Amino acid sequence: MNDLIAALTVARKDFRQELRSRATTVATLFFSAITLVMMAFGLGRDPELMRSAAPGVLWVALAFAGVIAAAQSFQADLEEGAFEQLLLLPVSRAAVYLGKLAASWLYLFVLGALMLPIALGLYGADAPASTWWLLGLVLLLGTLGLALIATFYAGLTANLQAREALLPVLMFPVIVPIMLGAVRATEAALMGSADAPLALSWVQLLGGFDLVYLVVCASIFHFVVDD
Amino acid sequence: MSDTSGRTRRPRWLTVFGLVTLAVVGVGLYAALIVSPPDVNQGDLIRVMYAHVPVAWIGFAAVAASAFWGMLYLWRGRAPDDVRAQATAEAALLFSVLTVIGGMTYSKPTLNTYWTWDAKLTLTALMVALVVGYFIVRALIEDPQRRARVSAVIMLVVLVSLPFNYLAAEWFRTLHPAKSINLDGSGVTMAPVMVRVLLINVLGGAMVFFYFISERIRIGRLALADDKTFDSVRGVAREVVSVR
Repeated sequence: MNDLIAALTVARKDFRQELRSRATTVATLFFSAITLVMMAFGLGRDPELMRSAAPGVLWVALAFAGVIAAAQSFQADLEEGAFEQLLLLPVSRAAVYLGKLAASWLYLFVLGALMLPIALGLYGADAPASTWWLLGLVLLLGTLGLALIATFYAGLTANLQAREALLPVLMFPVIVPIMLGAVRATEAALMGSADAPLALSWVQLLGGFDLVYLVVCASIFHFVVDD
Repeated sequence: MSDTSGRTRRPRWLTVFGLVTLAVVGVGLYAALIVSPPDVNQGDLIRVMYAHVPVAWIGFAAVAASAFWGMLYLWRGRAPDDVRAQATAEAALLFSVLTVIGGMTYSKPTLNTYWTWDAKLTLTALMVALVVGYFIVRALIEDPQRRARVSAVIMLVVLVSLPFNYLAAEWFRTLHPAKSINLDGSGVTMAPVMVRVLLINVLGGAMVFFYFISERIRIGRLALADDKTFDSVRGVAREVVSVR
């Protein structure tokens, strides 16, 4: 119970900090939007290719944004020694991890919800009204997977040199199943309700991934941050 | 440092084991190149399989072994366990890189392309990336205890990622020729003589692995002992300075 309150407090602190400084928002919102535009230039002008590439491009942009957001969240804490003080609190490390995870997840989910219509609009794909709940579910579980791994490795690399370059190198090979599941589920959801069972089978992969890593990361996070 | 020569000499059993390993690898090569008949479909190319399959199996086993030693370190906190975890991780990197190279050279003549997004090869390539990440982080952390702890955690995540990455790679797309031996050992459809040749080569590969890690652990523990002397000297120096 105490840990739950602590986790919520850490999450609220991170979120309020973000609302005040807007450091991550500035860094990731325009970054992911410009990634979508750049990828459109990279992919050329074949409308059919663009339409089919929309889910993949969206999730690549979100993965990059997840790296930046997680690194930024620990960066802000490390300045002025705030993270050491956070660790002095008599709560478990898992609570600190879950709190930071919740803030990252919420942030990435909102970012994904903003980027989804932009990606669909830029790439000429439309979302059928019958499967918007499915798209929401995929965004929810997909961004959770990204946030789980990003937060964990951001804590691990927080006081290393070259962390900005290191974080994606460590994180991307682990999130391959999330990328695949989220992209395929988004594709299927965009096809309409006929493909909903297909989308749900990918959602199961996302759910299993999230569950396993939630347990693993939360239980070994203290090895990463303790001195 | 007076008994350096005695302390650093390679134990006799390890030398003997190395020679026996060499002999077994020689027998394996002979069996693969001469004894084994050519395959019905693949002809002489099947001989690549005798090197490729053991190397791949050992690469995965090495990651599991490294994660095991890492967990033991997290549990007991003894420096030699980190040395063992590091030694097996180095072997894992070597064997998984060889697996990727072997798989690519194998698929060029059989499937006429170096890279096919075959599930097992893709999984191994991801594993190479993960183990490289392990060594990058190791190189960046100075404090030996924190280094051991963090790298044990990374190897644990690598191990957890393997089944998920396998599913992802399997479902991404697969062009692998029908497999003869499943990972769980069921469904063997090879000629018995070929299975025997393969098993000899698996034994040879496993012995090479044990020889490598034994030697690496021996060297790592010597370095550890040196570090300890260095640390205690430094500690004394620090005390002298602080007393002043």
